[in-house]
Formats: sequence, C-alpha cells, structure tokens
Amino acid sequence: MNTAVSARNISHNFGSSVALDDVSFEMKQGQTMALLGHNGAGKSTLIKILLGLITPTGGEIQILGRNIRKNTNRSTLKLGYLPENVSFYDKLTGEEILTYFAELKGVGKNRVCELIEEFGLGYAKDRALKTYSKGMKQRLGFAQAILCEPELLLLDEPTVGLDPVASQFLYGKIDELKRLGCAVIVCTHELSLIENNIDTALILGQGRCLASGNLSELRYESRLKTRLTSPSLAALVNDSERLASLYTDDALLLDRESKQDVVQFLTSECGLFDFALKEPGLAEIYHFHMKKCTQIGVVS
Amino acid sequence: MLLHSPVLVIAKKEIRDSLRNRWVIFISLIFLLLSLSVTFAGSAVVGQLSLPELDALISSLSTISVFIIPLAAMLVSYDAFVGEDESGTLLLLLSYPLSRFQILSGKLIGHGVIMSFTISFAFGLTAVLLLLFGENYDVAATLGQFSQFILTSILLAITFILLGYIVSLTATEKAKAVATVLFVWFLFVLIYDLLLLTLLVADITFVNQYIINVLIALNPTDLYRAMNLIGTDAGSGSLAILSASDWGKAALYFVMSLWVFGLMFVANFVFRRRQL
Repeated sequence: MNTAVSARNISHNFGSSVALDDVSFEMKQGQTMALLGHNGAGKSTLIKILLGLITPTGGEIQILGRNIRKNTNRSTLKLGYLPENVSFYDKLTGEEILTYFAELKGVGKNRVCELIEEFGLGYAKDRALKTYSKGMKQRLGFAQAILCEPELLLLDEPTVGLDPVASQFLYGKIDELKRLGCAVIVCTHELSLIENNIDTALILGQGRCLASGNLSELRYESRLKTRLTSPSLAALVNDSERLASLYTDDALLLDRESKQDVVQFLTSECGLFDFALKEPGLAEIYHFHMKKCTQIGVVS
Repeated sequence: MLLHSPVLVIAKKEIRDSLRNRWVIFISLIFLLLSLSVTFAGSAVVGQLSLPELDALISSLSTISVFIIPLAAMLVSYDAFVGEDESGTLLLLLSYPLSRFQILSGKLIGHGVIMSFTISFAFGLTAVLLLLFGENYDVAATLGQFSQFILTSILLAITFILLGYIVSLTATEKAKAVATVLFVWFLFVLIYDLLLLTLLVADITFVNQYIINVLIALNPTDLYRAMNLIGTDAGSGSLAILSASDWGKAALYFVMSLWVFGLMFVANFVFRRRQL
C-alpha cells in the first residue's frame, strides 16, 4: 500500500498559543484513521493543515506523495472534506447544492445524479434543504465530500446526531471507499461507534501526540488490563489467593504477561470454561491518555 | 466553458439564493413603489398633482435613493461571509481549489446582478411610464437622464455591497454584522451629510471649493448625488452645493470607480487575512 499521508514533526502556533507541537503520523491508502482528542487538542488545526488552509509553522506534510507546503496547486489533489455541523444553503434543493459543489470541482452532472441515487436522496432531490432531516443533510454532505472520487477523505464528526442506522450507513460507505483505496481520516468523539471501523488512531492532547497506531499497538502502549468475567468467578476467588490478588469490580484484571497463565490456570486447575475476556476498548484507551494528560497538567 | 468558471458558478448560486428568499422581489417592489410615488405623487406635498420637471425629478429620486439603495445593498451582502462561516460552508469552499479572490468576485457579480436588476427594473419602468403618461418629456433627454441615474445607482449599490462584505469579513457573528452595517449606513448616509452641511453653513474660512470637493469624494453617497445633480437646477441647501461642484462628470465617475476598486482591494485584503 502506498503512503497517503505522511506528517513529520508538524507544529503550529496561533500567536503565542501552541496549537500543534511536533505531531508525526503516517497512514496508507485504503486505511481509516480516527483523529481523537479533547476540545482544543489541535484536531481542527491539523485538518486545516491537511486541507492546505493553514501553512504549519514547522514540519513536513506529504499527501499522496506531494509536499503540500510546496504544492500550491491544490486542484491536482483529489481531496474530499465534510466539515463538522455544516449547514448548506436552506433555500436550495439537494440536487442544486450537489450540482453547485460539483461545478466548483469540475465534476460532471452524471456523477451528481449517481450520488443522489447512491445515497438514497432521489425522492427528495427537488425539495429545499430546509425540509431535509439531519440524516438526509449528512448524507448530502457526505455525497459532496466524495464528488471527486477522493484519494484522501477528511470527515469531521460525520455521525454526530445521527441515529444508529444512519451512522452505520455512513460507515458502510467509508468501507466501500477504503476498498477502492481511499484513505479516510475521521475526527470524532463517538469512540465506541468508530472502534470497529478504523485501522489506526491518533490521539492528540493539548497539541501533542499522546498515542498513535492500530488498536493492538494502542492497547500495548497503554498497558491497560484485560477484564476476565464469569458468573462463577466470585466463588473461585474465595479459594484462590492468586485470583484474589487480581480480582477487582467482579472481574479479573489481567496484564499482557499474566493473561495466558491465568486463563490456563482457570481452565486446567479450576475447570472454568464459562468466562469472557474483554480487551480494553478505544474509549478506555482514550480516557487513559486523557487522564494521564490531565495528571501531568497538560490539559487546562 | 466560461459559464462553468468558479466565479460564475458562485455568482449563479448567489442569484438563485436571492431569488429563492424573495430578496429580489422585495427590493424591486420597494424601489418601484418609491420611484412611482416620488414621480407621480411627489407634487402632492405642495398641494397639487402634476408631473415634475426632469431635473427636479432626478434630484428627488436621488435624494430618496441615497437612503434606500445603500441599506438594501448592505442587507443583501452583510452575511455573505460571516453567514457562510457560521454555517460551515466558507471553510468547505476554501477547501476547494478556489482562490479567495474568486469567491469574492463570484459573490460580487451575483449580488451586483441582483441590485442592478432591481434598480433597472424599478427606475426603468418609471421612465417608461413617465414617457407614456407625461406630455412634456423629451424621449432622448428622459432616457439619457434615467440611464445615468440607473448607472450611478448601480455604482452606489456596488460600493455598499463591498462595504457590506468588509463588515461581513470582519464580523465574528451575523448579529454583530447587522448592527455594524446599520452603523455604517447611519454614518455615511445621515451623519456625514449633516456634518458636511454644518461645516458649510458655519462658513469657516478654510472651507473652499477644493475642500468641499474632497469632502464629497470621501463619501460615495455625496458622490452619487453630485453625479446626478451636477449641472442641474437642483434646489437649495446641500443639494445646491453638490450641483455646484466644479468637477466634471468624468472626474466624479472616476472617483466613484476608485471607491469600487479601493473597496474591492480592501475586501480582498481582509479576506486573505481572515483567520479560519
């Protein structure tokens, strides 16, 4: 897989305030990366830098093999973007809005018709946008973002306020785009929703990169423990000092090193097969890093 | 190909948007009502009903228009940027392969077309009705005077559209932009004229015709009135001062063009510096 985005030591200041401090990451084509962080962590600044709207004060960014600091001709980059809470022109119809953005990107009318049908907006294409539901508006916004069949897609809170079906529809579309080789960066706070739809994540805190990598790497890096639960666990813990030392909140908390031994002990020595193992999720990893960030006094 | 240039695509969208929210109909009707009232019922204030002399009519129309055209132009343009910023579409537009100047030009063409249409419709129709129902009007002179009046009105509208853009580009929210355009309108249309008149009436020794010309040039609304009143028997007070300006029409048009290009330059400069 080719590299879609390569960012090295990106820094950006707004006057005396530091928005981004030495952030580096890389993602391949056909991958989805979650861009996570608290409000004011620098996510929006990073997105604006990727869009070429802000020139970083330091560092190098290559998008699809081109250095965006040197490449002033953005029309050659196939880039799609859906801003957070975008509210399109209320008086125009869905088709007029999509046609407007298509014309600005030099995309033909056929693509507009194709996307309207693909996103299930055909029945409402001649209706004014003000009559659209939140889900319909978001589908229209997503269709706008992929008008030019982008190689890099940036989505800022694409599923906020959407019902689960609508959210799943959008993530289904993201999967289709990934299969076509599109690199997708999703900036979101809906961690449980995105967890199963990403390849990597970049966690920012007060402009700094707190963690990055795939879910396994993030788990390993955080050293968060796996939770082992079972209905019969409480009884076993009473008879075993070893298990009692690991027992907290109705579960055994197992670190990477002890996990295999404990599972073996439960199955062979205690005859326990009715148990569940739950690896730390993205939300736990995120909260772990945010807590760490607060403890070292980085988050104001 | 030209029709698909980004500037014209944006202009088309602005026109369509204004047609949809009924701005065009609303402003056209206001201008028409005003123009017809001044033309056909203006004499009622002196206790008689008669059609006015052409010079007096243009003078009355420009006196009324100088209040309403700047206000309409700024109300069309005040949310052009701050409104798009609040809704998130400005950021989206800027992520497209477009320059800020293209966005600004597209909006100016769109809003300029809207104001040109409404002005031409209202005052053009007035001229036609005047020729149909009035008996003592020379066709060539009437059409000539009205053409100039329409042209200067369009220039005035463009000037205030651009002032509206500058307000829109510097405002952080729509509500503040509305308040600021009302203040700008108040300053240019009411206060400046009053101060100018006070200065003239006070008969301060250093105020000569040169200073008066400079003071006229510093306000597009006074320029507009001077362009329409110059060489006419335009009555008394500040109007007489404006009509007595020793500048030629070409010079007045030139200064008005400087206003348009100057404001375009400032708007573009502010847009380029606007933080996203």
